[in-house]
Amino acid sequence: MPDLPDKKVGLVSCSGEELAEGTIARVATRLVLEKLRPEETVTICLPLFLAGGQEERAFARFYPTIAIDGCDKMCAKRGTEAHSGPVADLVVVSDILAELGLPQPNSRRALDEEGLRLARLVADEIAHKVDALRGEAKAPELGIVDLSGAERPAPKVAPGETVCACRAGGLPVTQVEMAWGRVGIVGLQPLFERAYAQGLRPAPGVGEQLLKTVKVYNYVPASAEGEYAKALAREYAAFCQRKGT
Amino acid sequence: MTTNNKVIIIPCSGIGKAYGTVGREAAYMVVEELRPGVTDTVCLSLLVMGEEEARRRVQENPCITIDGCPLACAQKNVELAGGKQAVNLRVIDTYKEHRDLKPQAVTLIDENGRQLARFLAQQVAAEVDRLTAVGADSVVPNEEVR
Repeated sequence: MPDLPDKKVGLVSCSGEELAEGTIARVATRLVLEKLRPEETVTICLPLFLAGGQEERAFARFYPTIAIDGCDKMCAKRGTEAHSGPVADLVVVSDILAELGLPQPNSRRALDEEGLRLARLVADEIAHKVDALRGEAKAPELGIVDLSGAERPAPKVAPGETVCACRAGGLPVTQVEMAWGRVGIVGLQPLFERAYAQGLRPAPGVGEQLLKTVKVYNYVPASAEGEYAKALAREYAAFCQRKGT
Repeated sequence: MTTNNKVIIIPCSGIGKAYGTVGREAAYMVVEELRPGVTDTVCLSLLVMGEEEARRRVQENPCITIDGCPLACAQKNVELAGGKQAVNLRVIDTYKEHRDLKPQAVTLIDENGRQLARFLAQQVAAEVDRLTAVGADSVVPNEEVR
């Protein structure tokens, strides 16, 4: 995957309703999104891979994604890989509990003190993996997650909605005019920014060159590749013109 | 696990918005408090993965879906699984009737969210009663949307 400027890590939780481990997965994921790594992570609802559109299904191709699963059925991992893209890492709550010799949570509905402690443990493991994917090393933060009182807004990230990538809230999508109409291309602006920073300028073949990267994040029918390359060359020339070159 | 003759309550459990948390709480209220024994839930993620047992359960039992946002993930995934979609409820509709109960928290439900979930759960329970009175066999499965 190209090193995009906005290198956030995607988190996809199973949120399984039948098992307490699903609730642990969900709460732990939220703790990372809101408390531990609010500016480094983004999420999307797993069922949206089927209920949504191409923008949502591009999620795991755009972000290196960690699947957070409650049990060994690994719905988040398998669902993401079936409908979006390969996952970069995996956390399975039941495995963590087994490895640490910890008991099952008491309730799937409301986590008690022990359940919250388990959620913090899992959150810490997720945060560790986020750092690893971003190439950062931080000291373990076990136990520092403050759950008392009202939830606090995280710095620069409004609570709740902005960490969710549904309807492209976290996925930058650019509408590009093609011969047959407008097409939404995921990640085009950051890809242009990166190409520009690397010194790429409008020239014969630039559209084909950009297309190789665009295809990492977007489905491009083979029959439409020529039209995509032409449109990308045009859009990139306009982009460079706005940059002043 | 066999859950024939039970009404399956499936919330979207949306992870990005407070309404997803409210829907999830309402589902648990129904399954564990208001109508235990005649209702059950299925992991929505199992349907996303296409697990056969989960698909069979939503195909053989009437389903009430609860969605937290207009993307209607619960409803659409049940429909895609060929489930017996009996009723779809939206958290926003309950909120419109109780605008003083604006839920804020997503990770752990807050008091407004809990109260809103209580109202929603009562609606779900009423639908369960209607479905169990008329019988599950009378529910016509929705056509697949794609």
